[in-house]
Amino acid sequence: MSVKTEVDLSGVKKSNGVWLVKVPKYLSQQWDKAKERGEVGKITIGKKHGKTEVRFCLNEELTALGDVGEKDASLKVPRDHPFTMHAVGGQTMAAFSQSDTDGISLEGMVVHRAECRPVVNDNYMKLKKLQIRESTKPQRVSQQLERAVTTIFKPVANHDFNLEHDKKKKSEGKMVRAERQVVLDMLFSAFEKHQYYNIKDLVDITKQPVTYLKDIMREIGTYNSKGTHKSTWELKAEYRHYQSAEEEEEMQTA
Amino acid sequence: MATRNHSPGGPMFTVDYINKRDNDVGYVYYPEAEKPTTMTSLGSSTSSGTEYTVRVPKNTSKKYNIMAFNSGDKVNCSAWTQARMERDMSARRIYGEEESQDGAAGSEFGKKQREEARRKKYGIVTREFKVEDQPWILKVNGKAGKRFKGQKKGGVTENASYYIFTQCPDGAFEAFPVHGWYNFTPLAKHRTLTAEEAEEEWGRRNKVVNHFSIMLQRRFREQERGPDDEDEGEKSGKKKKKGGGRGGDLRIHDLEEDLEMSSDDSDSSMGDDGESKAKAKKDKGKGKGKKKKKKGGEHEALEDSDDGDYEGLEVDYMSDESSSDEEPEKGQPSKAEEHPKGIDEASESEEESEEEKPNEEETKEEEEEEEGKKTPVQAEKKKKKDSSGESESSDDSDIEGETASALFMKKRTPPKRGGGRGSAGSSRTGSRPGTPSIDSAATSNTLRAAASKLEQGKRPTPGPGTDSPAAKRLKMEPSSQSPAPSGKSTPQPPSGKSTPSSSDVQLTEEAVRRYLIRKPMTTKDLLKKFQTKRTGLSSEQTVNVLAQILKRLNPERKNVNDKMHFYLTE
Repeated sequence: MSVKTEVDLSGVKKSNGVWLVKVPKYLSQQWDKAKERGEVGKITIGKKHGKTEVRFCLNEELTALGDVGEKDASLKVPRDHPFTMHAVGGQTMAAFSQSDTDGISLEGMVVHRAECRPVVNDNYMKLKKLQIRESTKPQRVSQQLERAVTTIFKPVANHDFNLEHDKKKKSEGKMVRAERQVVLDMLFSAFEKHQYYNIKDLVDITKQPVTYLKDIMREIGTYNSKGTHKSTWELKAEYRHYQSAEEEEEMQTA
Repeated sequence: MATRNHSPGGPMFTVDYINKRDNDVGYVYYPEAEKPTTMTSLGSSTSSGTEYTVRVPKNTSKKYNIMAFNSGDKVNCSAWTQARMERDMSARRIYGEEESQDGAAGSEFGKKQREEARRKKYGIVTREFKVEDQPWILKVNGKAGKRFKGQKKGGVTENASYYIFTQCPDGAFEAFPVHGWYNFTPLAKHRTLTAEEAEEEWGRRNKVVNHFSIMLQRRFREQERGPDDEDEGEKSGKKKKKGGGRGGDLRIHDLEEDLEMSSDDSDSSMGDDGESKAKAKKDKGKGKGKKKKKKGGEHEALEDSDDGDYEGLEVDYMSDESSSDEEPEKGQPSKAEEHPKGIDEASESEEESEEEKPNEEETKEEEEEEEGKKTPVQAEKKKKKDSSGESESSDDSDIEGETASALFMKKRTPPKRGGGRGSAGSSRTGSRPGTPSIDSAATSNTLRAAASKLEQGKRPTPGPGTDSPAAKRLKMEPSSQSPAPSGKSTPQPPSGKSTPSSSDVQLTEEAVRRYLIRKPMTTKDLLKKFQTKRTGLSSEQTVNVLAQILKRLNPERKNVNDKMHFYLTE
């Protein structure tokens, strides 16, 4: 039931060409650390041997691997990244944006695809080594314990849970039979909410002893032993007037 | 050694220079600036080019996604005038458990908890319905335009991040991270068979000759279910009994009945390969006729297609008589007859104008591959192929395109289907704009329009080479198909087709030699030159004769554009 949004086609109409650039994870992480203004680096577009060459140079302050501001940074993220450009190659791609207010607009058509690659040097290799080491560490580690665990599964005369249960039972006491009429009222109001009830649930609701309750139910209701609502009690036909049941009956008689 | 080549583009750096930069990460060479930069407000100009700042805006409220189309769909976003997009929430009801309201009949106390406990016990883990992951439905150019479904592609942002770089007016680049990638595929507007129906039809594919009727039958079924369940149920039952996939549910009863009957006749008159198939067609035609009778009511007395009706027609190679027999039976309003006639003429002329032999062969193969769900257009062709191993008449793509769509109110044939077929045929069906489904009233209008158009388009029929090719063509046509066949079988219009054996071009060694001397040709081209309707030969015969001739001539071969061309030099 989502609202159909009119797509704003202004970007495409203006033939906005955009680039789709694949950026390595570490670089995008560094970009996330950028300051408010958002400047992360510079792109240089030039011609080299007749071919267009694009390179990206990361800003100095963003090269630190740790938090921005830390100076130690033994390892620095490489700065220079030439872009490998491809043409879109037949596949039509467009970029569309979705704003918080659920407005969709087509930002533009992708005219070039690029991959941002770092220049491979020793520094980069060290960085990669670190990354690999971290990723190959298993998430679950076996630890050796100094002492065996002794806090559980000792044999107990009576479990805590059972003790509590018994205490509760004693404090509540046996269920007292209330007036028949009162109970009937309770039952009818319960059956107004749902059609089928388990005897246990009814006991819970009415707080009546089981035998007494069963007695009353036998008077006003029936027990389903088969069918989808197995082992449940429901009111007798004459006592209930469910809306949908009525409609069904009407349909059948019609 | 860094050598600098001074070329018009500015000084270049050699590869050596790059490699040497080693650990000087922050060190950039700045040789003499030779070019003033265009962006004076930003960065300095290095001799390698212009520099732009890259910004990654932090505070965008917009989430960027990629909308990718398949190159084969030839989507041109700038051609869109209007577009609407929404999430496809149809999966929600699968995921969201439908809960009966409390207090409604049939609800149990504590049902929800019990269900949850049960699921936990059995370890059933249901995936949450995430709105973000739902596919998009994109509707372009309003109701009559295209529809696309955009499914999210997983794993895009796992290992690398994609950014969209746009250039701002101030020259700097802005990079926005891409949150999701959606692959948009076009949705078919025409009706397709459901999985169960498709299975059924697949099982019957060897028996069904007229694939065209599959969709018609389905539509008939649907139509029936609408108005009158029981009454129509009988009819549909009868229909199914009639064997094969004869839908017989043609909304334009008049014309289609005519066409069917005549085409059935012509079909049956084909003596060759598809005899059994012709029989099957006959049966179907009969079934259709019967059905039509019921539906039409008024035609009850007219068409009494019993088993014996078509027997004699098999022998009759010239379809003239048989068709003329049909005419009185139909007793259609003259207009209706005109249309089939006109269209037939038109189709004939159009056939001649088209060179579709190669198409046939292609389509033959295609037919064998594709089974089951077909649009009527394609099904017609298929049926043609199936029914007769003979060369068809192409006709059709045109006729199918215009009249078929008009007649049978098909929804638009997807261009894909058209694209799959032979060149001319495909281009025709493909280029046809989506024909929305039309009412019977509108259909008759369009039919008339199509017929008149065809009549205008048709050339004065060439004298020779017609009846038997025409007859052959007719046989090929599935009875349910266009008026074309029936028209052909009807008494010929003034254009007067002559006897079969005369032909414009004879397939002789001389003719082949002439062509090959003139210019190199492929086998396909040669076949095009010797069309069946002109030579009066079947496609098989033509191929055989041509092969023999080529053997005798022994032309030289050369490969042009990856195709083997023959040529002679004298």
